[in-house]
Amino acid sequence: MREVRLSEPLIYVLDMAVFVGIFAILAVSLNLEYGFTGLANFGKVAFFMVGAYTSSILANMGFPYLACITVATFAAGFVGFVASLPALKLQADYLAIVTLAFGEILRFIFKNEEWIAGGVQGITVPSAITITGVPIQTMMLIQLTIVYAALAICYFIAQRVVNSPYGRTIRAIREDELAAQVLGKDVFKYKAQMFTLGSAMAGVSGSLFSQYVRFIDPYTFEPILTFTVWMMVILGGPANNLGVILGAVFVQALERGARIAKDYLLLPVDPHNLRVMIIGILIILILMYRPQGLFRESKVKTPALEVASKWKKRS
Amino acid sequence: MLFLVVVNWLQVLFNSAVTGSLYLLAAVGLTLTYGLTRFPNFAHAEFMALGAYAGYTIAEQLKLGFPYSFIAAFISSAALGAASYLLVFRPLTHRGATIIHLMVASIGLDFFVRHLIKQVWGGEQLSFRMVWPYFDVGPVRITGLWVALILSAIVMVGVMHIVLTRTRLGKAIRASANNPDLAMASGVDVEKIALVVWIVGAALAGVGGLFRAADTRLVPLIGWEILLPAFAVVILGGIGSFYGALIAAYVIGLAENFGVVFLVMFKLSTDYKFAIAFLILILTLILKPSGFGRLFGEGGKVV
Repeated sequence: MREVRLSEPLIYVLDMAVFVGIFAILAVSLNLEYGFTGLANFGKVAFFMVGAYTSSILANMGFPYLACITVATFAAGFVGFVASLPALKLQADYLAIVTLAFGEILRFIFKNEEWIAGGVQGITVPSAITITGVPIQTMMLIQLTIVYAALAICYFIAQRVVNSPYGRTIRAIREDELAAQVLGKDVFKYKAQMFTLGSAMAGVSGSLFSQYVRFIDPYTFEPILTFTVWMMVILGGPANNLGVILGAVFVQALERGARIAKDYLLLPVDPHNLRVMIIGILIILILMYRPQGLFRESKVKTPALEVASKWKKRS
Repeated sequence: MLFLVVVNWLQVLFNSAVTGSLYLLAAVGLTLTYGLTRFPNFAHAEFMALGAYAGYTIAEQLKLGFPYSFIAAFISSAALGAASYLLVFRPLTHRGATIIHLMVASIGLDFFVRHLIKQVWGGEQLSFRMVWPYFDVGPVRITGLWVALILSAIVMVGVMHIVLTRTRLGKAIRASANNPDLAMASGVDVEKIALVVWIVGAALAGVGGLFRAADTRLVPLIGWEILLPAFAVVILGGIGSFYGALIAAYVIGLAENFGVVFLVMFKLSTDYKFAIAFLILILTLILKPSGFGRLFGEGGKVV
């Protein structure tokens, strides 16, 4: 991964913005699964990894960007769907163990099977967009535009899904699975759909990530990545799509802060260790003192609600 | 394609007993705390790691010998277990945290402790330089360390069995795991019992971590590497079931050691032995989520 220094402020800001966008997509996808549906997906990184590797392998074969990202999305969604079939019948705690282990096993496979994508050596990703003779800032702006376009689409889809009768159903499943079942909702179907959608979004994010950093190896996809995203969701406010995006901004700023500390302060602590320790402690503190996150759960905004609130005002 | 390998099956069998004993030490605390406090504690991995590192400091840096490092591992992990319960998980439970919150907090704690360890001892691989006596029984090579490990597991099982069946404390532990509300109504201080279980479970995990480190090598990820098989033991044995875990640990020890032989035969990486534990875990959850727990009339919740 390129090390971007503070000495070039514009590039630094662009770099951070790209990372915020990539992680915001992950946060929105985890929010759909955990925030709205109550699924404890501790293996988010697995689907991000599938997206990143699929996209990289295709890019190496010379496919255009749009093909890479589309196939990566479907691949991650498909793996998510298959993984969800045995996993979703389980309770929250079992699901967490299984998804966490799934991510680790998948990482072992990419690590040991060199024929897939270079194993431990990793794989360099050729840029799927080739424009010669433009400065790096322009290239980064293009990347930035693509990432934020993807984020906007994911955000739009997520908002459409949750602000609908469908969204009310998944929230009902989160609150009381049995009650939702009694009301005739096929709980398993809803969970599988949300898990698949969330995984597909993680695939989009993985594809964008691999195209941006241009080199991936199995060490990129350690479980810490999953929990960075969990922190964004918990901090931003579960079941609030805008909140989790702000959570992504905050967590990225924090991570950058630790890196800047490395460059400018002489701390007796290794900055990477410090960063992870801060994340660990913050997760615990947030859960203890503000488990609902910075932003409250958003209301279900359906057309029916708008009509009802107008009617209420009139009377 | 099958590759012919000369396999010393008796050695594989003995190694299974070694692995099983290790997993038992690692998983006992995990299953009991899971049963009592109703969530899987991912930070259990670091109870093992801290024990291993504390033992390393005593044995290799202070040169005090293995028995002292055994005690150091026991005490340091016990302290970490107590601190985790009193400072993190009990306050969270009091504030009405959900299972998912507790799990995420345990991951947060895991990351914190692991990187604290990395900060104190460094991320480099360390190894015990102690030399263990070894002897051959027929075709089986046995080292003193393995004997010590198996003996520790046997002593632990004996003591736990007596405590669980013959003492008031054991009765209270079983009652709290089975039905906390009823236990509380019968005058059992469930939180005190939970604290005791957290301390003992963490201490045993620390000892397990020390054995693992002395047997192989010491890296900050040492606990995390055993966590997945430990969870497989917990699930296969039935959550909260001590006797279930006892059987499950050796079953998984056997599966892993024989599995490795087949992995070698098929020229696959031995890294995939983790996949064996994972496979057992998944199959248990799909086929019989209560694991062996029901055999002993304890543990094992129904999905």
